[in-house]
Amino acid sequence: MPLASAVRLEATGCVTPLGNAPSTHAALLRNEVALRPAPVLGADGGEPVPMALVAGRSFDETAPPNWLPPLQSLQAELAGEGWGTARRPVFVTSSNFGVGSLYAYRRHGDAAHLAYGTPSTCVDWLAGQLGWGANVTTLSHACVSAHLGLLLATRVLQAGFADRALVFSFDFISPFVAGGFHALKILNSGFPSPYAERASGSIGLGDGAAYAVLSVDRGDFVLEAQSLYNEMHHFTSNRADGAGFAACLAPLSAAARGRRLWLKGHGTGTLEAGRLESTALCTAFPDTPLVGWKGSLGHTLGSCGLVELALACEAMRQGRAPGTVGGASPSFQANVALDPLSLEQTDGVVCASNAFGGAHAAFLLAHA
Amino acid sequence: MLERYLQAVSVNDVGLEDPAGTRERLKERFPRGATRRMTQLGMLIGVALDDLCPRNDDTVVYASAYAETRALEGYLDSFPSASPTLFQTSIHPSAVQQALIGRQLPIGEFFPLTGRAHLVAHAFQAALLAPAPRVLLCGGEERGTWLLEQRVASERTFAFALALGLEPAGALARVSLQSVANDVPAGALGLPEFCDALRSRQTLDIVAAPGLRLCLVWV
Repeated sequence: MPLASAVRLEATGCVTPLGNAPSTHAALLRNEVALRPAPVLGADGGEPVPMALVAGRSFDETAPPNWLPPLQSLQAELAGEGWGTARRPVFVTSSNFGVGSLYAYRRHGDAAHLAYGTPSTCVDWLAGQLGWGANVTTLSHACVSAHLGLLLATRVLQAGFADRALVFSFDFISPFVAGGFHALKILNSGFPSPYAERASGSIGLGDGAAYAVLSVDRGDFVLEAQSLYNEMHHFTSNRADGAGFAACLAPLSAAARGRRLWLKGHGTGTLEAGRLESTALCTAFPDTPLVGWKGSLGHTLGSCGLVELALACEAMRQGRAPGTVGGASPSFQANVALDPLSLEQTDGVVCASNAFGGAHAAFLLAHA
Repeated sequence: MLERYLQAVSVNDVGLEDPAGTRERLKERFPRGATRRMTQLGMLIGVALDDLCPRNDDTVVYASAYAETRALEGYLDSFPSASPTLFQTSIHPSAVQQALIGRQLPIGEFFPLTGRAHLVAHAFQAALLAPAPRVLLCGGEERGTWLLEQRVASERTFAFALALGLEPAGALARVSLQSVANDVPAGALGLPEFCDALRSRQTLDIVAAPGLRLCLVWV
């Protein structure tokens, strides 16, 4: 696949259960775990599973959705006006949008929830709340959604269709999504330990939202290369030979030649995917430290690529990257870093995400 | 201006046909027993893509406002014992994954989009910006049941797929996308209207999203 040309990051930000990007970065450096056990179906009960919500938000759906305030706080960080107009398009990415509202409607019959239940009604409402115009492209590809927004925004800019582009991503957990992952048995009472060699795997789920403002020529960071690959092998598992992971990373490996990198992996805490991912990363980028942050934040689903991009930028500004919080020895690969990393000797990071259907996405981020 | 040529098109507009009818009608197009696990939209998208002989160097762009409505309805009804199968099947972009996983066909780039009024324009933008020699742009909806009663699902069932190449030879139509000023009012072009335009070979020339003029001219 041809690589997209480089594009600058004019601004990034995120909100997680540990706060904004600087607060989250600092908490991760202290090895804080945001995940807490909570009933999988919220007020309807169920097994306690590890979940992490942004401050002040309840798990059960409300109408209007109680996740609007954190998105408004993110929007307030954005400089400039005119988002959603012809030359300043918005690319919204999510896996769930407001679908938790449909669960609330079906369980409790309150028709007020229906106004937020489909991606289009949810995004139209959100655009109105955040003051955007109608030029909003909406992408949804489970946990690689944010990467698609970055790549499409990059191309729109480079083709001259926009002056600046806003990629905005969010996923707030609900009984709808927690119930689904619990039914798949990968969300259970165990806490995630990314890349750890242990008897059983588990994930946590977390709220997350983030933004990135892309520009052709402004910003301190640059997305030097982006890559996608879709195995189309199985809905919920990967090819056993790891070929899908390797195919996505191969173009980035070539683009990063000569750089001194660190790696931010997907690392949800599942065993087979963690083994395959860490092996592929270690093979493509030998002797390069690998970290993952979902052992603290939980899996923030469709927003994870953008949340972790904002945190990677913060780490590069501060010169220190959090380690694999929640990880443990032995790890699948020796390059898995459990402790924080000094980034003084590095000049770039490869960030990777994966999704259902064997979808893989990754990018190479560097100082401009 | 971005431009590609429409080399092949497949439209499957089944209106009010129920999933069982679609399954019976299309079962010969899939491996034995496969349709039991597929959604109605998955079957229709699968046939539309199959008509275009997808290759692993194609980029695929997929557009759907509501996607797997029946699976979503079933999943919501399965609580408190949530169905893992319906959960995974209800997740966008399951229809294309059903089709391509069935063929074991890996692809590089896959852009699943959703939305309403400007979905077609933005899907074409994703397609025409892709560097692949051929882009398959597909889309569709399936008719809902109790979600439709609440007006949060599609009223009709349809799917289409287009093969968009770089060469004009043998083309059925030319597709272009041009940047226009923000003060040019944008109209709405949703998937059902676009499907109708494809079926009737209707020429399109519309500012179909803010700043984006979409032209489809049949040869």
